[in-house]
Amino acid sequence: MHTGHYISGAAHGLLILWALFGGMFRGDPPEMEVADVSVISEAQFAAMMQPQLAPPTVDEPAALPQPEPETALPDTPVEDTQPVTQPEPAEPEVVEPDPVPEPVLPEPEPQVADDLPQPPTPEAVPDVQAPDVALRPTPRPAPRVAPEAVPEPAPEADVAPEVQDTVEQSDTAEPSEAEEQQATAPEAATTEIVTEAEEPARAPTASVRPQVRPNRPPQTQTQTAAAPAAPPEPEPEADAAAADATAAAIAGALEEALSGATTGSAEGPPLTQGERDGFRIAVQDCWVVDVGSQAANVTVTVGFDMDRDGRVVGSSLRMLAAEGGSGTAVETAFQAARRAILRCQGDGYSLPVEKYDQWRNVEMTFNPESMRVR
Amino acid sequence: MKQVFAALLSGLAFALMVPGVALAQDGPLRIEITEGVIEPLPYAVPDFVAESAGAQQLAQQIARVVADDLTGTGLFREVPREAHISQITSFGSPVQFADWKAINAQALVTGAVSEEGGRVVVKFRVWDVFAGTELGQGMQFAGTPEGWRRMAHKVADQVYSRITGESGYFDSRVVFVSESGPKDQRAKRLAVMDYDGANVQYLTGSNALVLAPRFSEDGQRVLYTSYETGMPRVHVLEVGTVQSRILQGQDGVMSFAPRFAPNGQTVVYSLTQGSNTDIWAMDIASGGTRQLTSAPSIETAPSYSPDGSQIVFESDRSGTQQLYVMSASGGEARRISFGQGRYSTPVWSPRGDMIAFTKQNAGRFHIGVMRTDGSEERLLTASFLDEGPTWAPNGRVIMFARETQGAQGSSSLYTVDISGRNLKRVRTPEGASDPSWGPLQ
Repeated sequence: MHTGHYISGAAHGLLILWALFGGMFRGDPPEMEVADVSVISEAQFAAMMQPQLAPPTVDEPAALPQPEPETALPDTPVEDTQPVTQPEPAEPEVVEPDPVPEPVLPEPEPQVADDLPQPPTPEAVPDVQAPDVALRPTPRPAPRVAPEAVPEPAPEADVAPEVQDTVEQSDTAEPSEAEEQQATAPEAATTEIVTEAEEPARAPTASVRPQVRPNRPPQTQTQTAAAPAAPPEPEPEADAAAADATAAAIAGALEEALSGATTGSAEGPPLTQGERDGFRIAVQDCWVVDVGSQAANVTVTVGFDMDRDGRVVGSSLRMLAAEGGSGTAVETAFQAARRAILRCQGDGYSLPVEKYDQWRNVEMTFNPESMRVR
Repeated sequence: MKQVFAALLSGLAFALMVPGVALAQDGPLRIEITEGVIEPLPYAVPDFVAESAGAQQLAQQIARVVADDLTGTGLFREVPREAHISQITSFGSPVQFADWKAINAQALVTGAVSEEGGRVVVKFRVWDVFAGTELGQGMQFAGTPEGWRRMAHKVADQVYSRITGESGYFDSRVVFVSESGPKDQRAKRLAVMDYDGANVQYLTGSNALVLAPRFSEDGQRVLYTSYETGMPRVHVLEVGTVQSRILQGQDGVMSFAPRFAPNGQTVVYSLTQGSNTDIWAMDIASGGTRQLTSAPSIETAPSYSPDGSQIVFESDRSGTQQLYVMSASGGEARRISFGQGRYSTPVWSPRGDMIAFTKQNAGRFHIGVMRTDGSEERLLTASFLDEGPTWAPNGRVIMFARETQGAQGSSSLYTVDISGRNLKRVRTPEGASDPSWGPLQ
């Protein structure tokens, strides 16, 4: 018998004695409350409940929603759906007779020319490096219309495809070798539309946070292949056939790694993000998007080749893919993309010559989705 | 041991391939451009070449109208003639593209005009300067000297179409209500003009109030509401003969806000009986009518979709004026406008993808557009009173009436591109309202 059994038996015995003699099972029963009841009919019950079903009263009624205030409307000549009183007869015009001219306008006979001579191909003329005549400034189309015309501001710079600074001959300074020229700048344009019905933003809605410094690109492990580990000497009992197969696989891998051109990949270091962005921005500055046209629904990819001077090989321009829009809209979108590529190249896009293999062939996708009129 | 050796060699081979992967670029350089510029495309229109002795002035005038048409769209900017390096002296001579490229002209329009025996011939070519190629083929139009503006508009339509890929709208006419006199005694009469406000011709006298003219799809007839009999009645006018007749002659009943169906055989209009206004349709040939709505509210300003299958209209059945779309045969309507304010005078775009409307909100009037399901609502204008939009034949431009405030206020016609740009006034000899743009001729 364990000591635990004795302890358990004693504890249970004490518990039984306390239950029997401690008064746990004794006590006076609680007093019962007696209430008088009476039997009533259903009608009486409904009559008693009627006041409780009424909505609770409040001290003051809630204010009714006010109708939209009627602004004083001008007399509009729209179709009036209310009964209209008979208009007063208009005074007959004495001075101005009722002109009823011949409504039939002369109908020209449009016809497609059958034998318009094809003009001869113009002689090849070297591209002009800089315009001889700078354009006169033209007023930029105003996004908003003012009730009165404002005087044209004094031109600060003429319109020209490229930016150039003013060069003037000074009387006091040494004569400069630079030829006198007038300041020019590309015409300003916008990338968003503000309609007359919209209020232009007068203050920024959020403060501009400083940009996070871009992470350095991971350094390329160019020296990895320079010092390959010496292969261990094969054990004399190695299988000769297996060793030959492994050696052939390694040789193939080495050849593939050291001759990237065989796979169609470009050699040399890739363009940096900055170089890519510079190329992209140069083209997008000339990409004119007609945001209200069907062509604004088309994303078109254009492929072209470039020479080492960064100039586009014109005959290589071709449409690779198009998405959205009809055939005419696709063609218009392609023409706009082609014009952008050709127009902004100038004397050639600024791309690193040592990486020519990287940008010899270009596929450029023009996606107007973010500019589309919504 | 053999496996260990092979694994080492494989690792070595992989290590050798890593630099190659880093050096190589898979295929051509790929660039995506998502931001462009919104600016007019520069072009040049030198004076057309006069190929006959008396055609010099006509050649200049036609070239100017072509330039005005193109520049007026807001999509093109003419390079001033003073900046031209090359001069076009012969229609058949080669184009020196470098000269036009130097002044940044992306498109070039050359043309020639000849006049002989009361017959004018206009021919033209369009060139893509930077590509050094011709856009499309040369064309020519022939007509009378009086029709030179129409021929110029046709040339501009062709140029517009070849550059944008969409049809033009220059050779089209607008019927409108010409207004004269003070605001409380304003005389109104129907008039028709070229889209640019030229060649105004009056179709009715000013002895009766006229409202809401609407061109048919072929431009040969005009529906309008006249108070000639004391009650508003729908009239139809043949443009060729200037003869009009009452279309709906039921006594004691007001009919108004008419509009042709695309097939030209059916007219839809509003009819008021008692205090209720509903939309009805009438077959012009038989005179048979059919009630399309039967709500106890006011339904008016119906406009067909281009395919004739649906009708958009305004109704106050919800308590305020809103836009609804229903089948052309009537039946249950679907509300499409849910913004603040009141919507009225909806007009379906010829393209079929948008609905233009007048909106009144916070004491201002707007011309706006929305998708046919009511989404993508955009307000294009804002003023004291803008109303009554009508679409250009190509669905690209909206014309509407704008009235200035005050007792001396007058109504004028304006156009705005559906992008909200290029808002400009159409010059008319008198006040003008209720425009309806006809088809391309």
